[in-house]
Amino acid sequence: MAERFISERNLKFMLYEVFDVEALTRYPYYQEHDREIFDLVLTTALRMGKDLLQPALQEMDKNPPQFVDGQVKVHPMVRPFMKQCGEGGWIGAGAPFELGGQQFPLMISAAFRFILAAANYSASVYPLLTSGAAHLITSFGTREMIRTYVPKMFAGEWQGTMALTEPQAGSSLSDITTLAVPTDQGYYRMHGQKIFISAGAHDGVENVIHLLLARIKGAPPGVKGISLFVVPNKRMQEGGGLIPNDVNVSGVYHKLGYRGSPITQLSLGERDDCRGYLVGEPHRGLSYMFQMMNEARIDVGLGAAAIASAAYYAALEYARDRIQGRRLSAKDPTTPPVPIIAHPDVKRMLLFQRAVVEGSLSLILQCAQYADRMRVTDGEEKEDLHLLLDLLTPAAKTYPSEMGILSVSQGLQCLGGYGYCDEFPLEQFYRDARIHPIHEGTTGIQGLDLLGRKVIMQEGRALVLFCKEMEKTIRSGEEFAVLDPYAQRLKQALEKLKTITSHLVRLGEQKGAECFLADATLYLELFGIIAVAWQWLVQAVSVQRAFKEDLSDGERNFYQGKWYACRFFFHYELPKIEGLSRRLLESNGLTVEMKEAFFGD
Amino acid sequence: MNIVVCLKQVPDTETQIKIGPDNKSIVTDDIKWVINPYDEFGVEEALQLKEKFGGEVTVVGMGPKRVTESIRTALAMGADKGILITDDALEGSDSLATAKALAAVLKDLEYDLIFTGQRGVDDDMGVVGPALAELLGIPNLSLIVKVEAAEDGKSVKVNRPVEGETLVIESSLPALITAQKGLNEPRYASLPGIMKAKKKPLEEKTLGDLGLDAAQFGEGARKLKILEMTPPPERAAGKIVEGETPQEKAAELAKLLHEEAKVF
Ligand SMILES: Cc1cc2nc3c(=O)[nH]c(=O)nc-3n(C[C@H](O)[C@H](O)[C@H](O)COP(=O)(O)OP(=O)(O)OC[C@H]3O[C@@H](n4cnc5c(N)ncnc54)[C@H](O)[C@@H]3O)c2cc1C
Repeated sequence: MAERFISERNLKFMLYEVFDVEALTRYPYYQEHDREIFDLVLTTALRMGKDLLQPALQEMDKNPPQFVDGQVKVHPMVRPFMKQCGEGGWIGAGAPFELGGQQFPLMISAAFRFILAAANYSASVYPLLTSGAAHLITSFGTREMIRTYVPKMFAGEWQGTMALTEPQAGSSLSDITTLAVPTDQGYYRMHGQKIFISAGAHDGVENVIHLLLARIKGAPPGVKGISLFVVPNKRMQEGGGLIPNDVNVSGVYHKLGYRGSPITQLSLGERDDCRGYLVGEPHRGLSYMFQMMNEARIDVGLGAAAIASAAYYAALEYARDRIQGRRLSAKDPTTPPVPIIAHPDVKRMLLFQRAVVEGSLSLILQCAQYADRMRVTDGEEKEDLHLLLDLLTPAAKTYPSEMGILSVSQGLQCLGGYGYCDEFPLEQFYRDARIHPIHEGTTGIQGLDLLGRKVIMQEGRALVLFCKEMEKTIRSGEEFAVLDPYAQRLKQALEKLKTITSHLVRLGEQKGAECFLADATLYLELFGIIAVAWQWLVQAVSVQRAFKEDLSDGERNFYQGKWYACRFFFHYELPKIEGLSRRLLESNGLTVEMKEAFFGD
Repeated sequence: MNIVVCLKQVPDTETQIKIGPDNKSIVTDDIKWVINPYDEFGVEEALQLKEKFGGEVTVVGMGPKRVTESIRTALAMGADKGILITDDALEGSDSLATAKALAAVLKDLEYDLIFTGQRGVDDDMGVVGPALAELLGIPNLSLIVKVEAAEDGKSVKVNRPVEGETLVIESSLPALITAQKGLNEPRYASLPGIMKAKKKPLEEKTLGDLGLDAAQFGEGARKLKILEMTPPPERAAGKIVEGETPQEKAAELAKLLHEEAKVF
């Protein structure tokens, strides 16, 4: 089995050379940190990944969670792993000191998560969900709530979840019906069904705390009537101790991949004794939940890139070892065959994977950097960063998710028939990766979010800011003769993005919302490719700077690899926007007009 | 109980090692450095003993400045302070010289126990631990997989595996233990531990600070000279044993083992 799942060198390149995480430590909020600390975090994450997570990767796939006597049994590594994450302070890493956290920059937390997710995505999700849920409580909950739940969650003793989906309400959260009936005791009585709730119940922790969306009885319809609740599987009894809170698991689903973590179906209030505690104000639940969802969306992108990274290193190792065929130029059949990595087409597949993995990671760290800077700025600057983050989130979720599948597929392809068999991890990665365009809002929903909301909000201000960011990078690129052609390509792509956006907005004005948004997914695809091209240029600027230094052989090879991957992206991937833009500039609402009746035969 | 752990920084076993142009040393440019795994067992054992008996754990390393990172890792795991012996004149020292430098640091420290790894995974010499015990005039307990300290903290009982059996040895303190795989599972550094590590004392000492004569260290003073380094021979291609039936294949295999491999 392949041992490597990420490149530490690449992570350090991104963190220190491209995104300059050390610059944050100049601000008082981050002043306790320095590079030595960050390096130790990475070293520890790598060790945890290698020793704790990777050995369980295949086992967790082969022995998925079982639903026995109303209990969900997960792999025995989950408990010690959660404990480790708790005791090590990893779950609360990003929280402020006064809440028991370590005020870690998101860039570093993201790098930590990337390493764990690449080692074993399913396992990495347990602490991740708990961090997100705890963050929601610390942001909007009462002091009492924080005191009750957060220390246990940070300690890895209690699992956190996000419980949104219902049988009739997946993408369309405005249709949720779970009901919260107020009492005069300070809690609500909860009734309803939630499905697909990740880690909604399991025996790796003492308790599970759901951050759950429901409607208070009599609330207005739609998103304006949704509130956020804390609903524990077991609640605190007066005088101490935990008792069941009438949250009943009715089953776990059997999944294509990502099998190490359970998704549960929950039935609330079967005995009319399920208590929920309102978080924040009534009817504002969805806006609160968006904090967790936005973080989770970026984490999905990160998870997708991480799986693709593990697949890449497995494919690379195989391609170096597998002897097959001769060079295209070798005419003599008695010459010795070569490792397949000598074939240009295999190198193409490997470069494609690198271009996707490292381009995706770069986009995600860019988002993390915006979030980190938001913490230490205020006024307009902070607002601008917020808008950029909002705009980029759908792309940071979707590009890695959709392209990650193709990337893993190319990794599998490098192994030929062996890739299709379970002696190698590629087939598992392929199954595991498939979840990402689905959860945390499908690709379709991300497209609608980008074009229907983010691009047009505040009269397109976010898009204007994004263009400025790209123009800044283009100018940096123009300073290097070798980068200039790529800077020009990005400039043209940017012009295209502007033209298409105004075309679609105009189309919407003329023909209505259906036509405006019919191809929102295509728009998102185009937007994602351009955003990642931008990130490759950002990286290439750092690469060209490094080339001016005196480099060892290994270092030179690293930067050469980067430089090839960057150019690969511009020559092989960026041109894909041509086809997309051709379609997006047309005005016929083909899919709008197509009728259901025409699909039959 | 005060414990000193001697720690060496070695190339990660996953690093591709390249032999230098002098054919006597390795190229260190692109190496990823880690704590010698056997020394990590020592750190963990020291921390466990400290948790039980109190006292301090001091980590002593020797080498260039980059060794600081490994010492900090041990501090992040929970050790209390670090000492780095660093001096250009140390470059190329052999194991005996290393033991001498360590002994010079240790003579000024109060200790009940010293841990070293049973060997460094880079040079595989296994000399520093025993030599250090000798220089300090204390018992040397080598290749240890279990340590039990007496309740009063005055003696230890340790296990050494020997040919499938276990030798149980009791020793007075102070003593030196060389750690063997199986002793424990080293812990992961915790995040609060990492944050605290930065504030823990880490002292640097030169040969001069230790009152040592530079002429006795470094390449020139080696008692043991490396004449040449060669990479291991490339593995020859394997052979697939031909035959119609398992019996035929077994006979063919036996013949090859006898005639070609000459194992019997
Ligand atoms: C492994 C896994 C883990 C999950 N974990 C959680 C969790 O922890 N918590 C939680 O709350 N949920 C969770 N989910 C649920 C997940 O978020 C939903 O499955 C997802 O949001 C889609 O909802 P749905 O399955 O009902 O599909 P639907 O909403 O029915 O969508 C079906 C298809 O129709 C498209 N579609 C739907 N509406 C529109 C529209 N208006 N315009 C255009 N296209 C549309 C979608 O893009 C999709 O392709 C999980 C799901 C899985 C599979």
